[in-house]
Amino acid sequence: MWLSLLFLAIGIGLGLLSNFSIPAIYSNYISIAILAAFDTLLGGIRAHFEHVFNQHIFVTGFFFNITLAIFLTFIGEQLGVDLYLAAVFAFGWRLFQNIAIIRRRLFDRWEQRKLAKTNKPV
Amino acid sequence: MHVKGKHVILSLVLFVFGYLIAVSYEQAQYLLEENEIAEDWDRAFHYRQQLIDFEERNNELEREINSLRLDLLETEAQLSEEQATLMSAVELKRKLQAYVGELAINGPGVFVTLKDQEYVPSDANVNDYIVHDRHVQLVINELLSAGAEAIQVNGQRIFQDSHVYCVGPVITVDGTSYPAPFTIEVIGDSDVLLAALTLEQGVIDQLVNERIEVEYGTKQIEMEPK
Repeated sequence: MWLSLLFLAIGIGLGLLSNFSIPAIYSNYISIAILAAFDTLLGGIRAHFEHVFNQHIFVTGFFFNITLAIFLTFIGEQLGVDLYLAAVFAFGWRLFQNIAIIRRRLFDRWEQRKLAKTNKPV
Repeated sequence: MHVKGKHVILSLVLFVFGYLIAVSYEQAQYLLEENEIAEDWDRAFHYRQQLIDFEERNNELEREINSLRLDLLETEAQLSEEQATLMSAVELKRKLQAYVGELAINGPGVFVTLKDQEYVPSDANVNDYIVHDRHVQLVINELLSAGAEAIQVNGQRIFQDSHVYCVGPVITVDGTSYPAPFTIEVIGDSDVLLAALTLEQGVIDQLVNERIEVEYGTKQIEMEPK
């Protein structure tokens, strides 16, 4: 767990320090990529709670989703249609769903633990 | 702690995620700043433009003021010129009015009084001892030649078209009769007038020769308008 957090910190630090500037036209791409990454992360957490977590699916899903989102945005840009909105909508929708499920699972777990605690002395 | 493949993968994913978020955050800050700068610039440009407009307007108004000032000067000059013309016209009018007797005038001058001789010898013709129109005419003509500016006989102004003639014992000036004595008053250079009158064999001498009593001298003369 600490390794993951360390890497997260390293990633953020690198991003802040790199002073890597992207042309304004591509800011759409990066935002959609972030959305995709976020969605995949939450999906992974949800899968973990549901005990169906598969690391291969997680990793491929992470990169594939990002790539697909970027590709969709690219196509939309070429056609003059704001296709990235579709990606935003889909990812956003799933984001909320995942969060809701994660919340429910956490709540369930907490309740079970409480129940177990109260049952023990009896 | 045992490092599982699962953790490595999670770390990798989180690393990429963190990197993306950081870059995006930077980008957003940068864009925001840029926007602000552009806004600042726009505002500065706007105000500068406004300033330029104001300055232009000021310049225009200043030019207008200058031209108006010039107009004013011209008008003033014209007015003063007109006034001067008017003044000289008024002066001329006064002068002419004085000449034609429309105004009361006064000034230094000379008077000549002609009286009939009181003593008339019994064997003489009384006509030789009284003042005739020609005497008065003589005096008037002499005075005019000497540069008289205004002449009156017994208080009646003499003009260019005046006539003086004898009717029996009186003399008529422009239709008004006056008895002797006759006082001829003249405004003018009194020295010159007196000199002209008292010339050797001049008018006074002639009058005295024709047995007329003559009084003359200088005095301040006032003339009424006719």
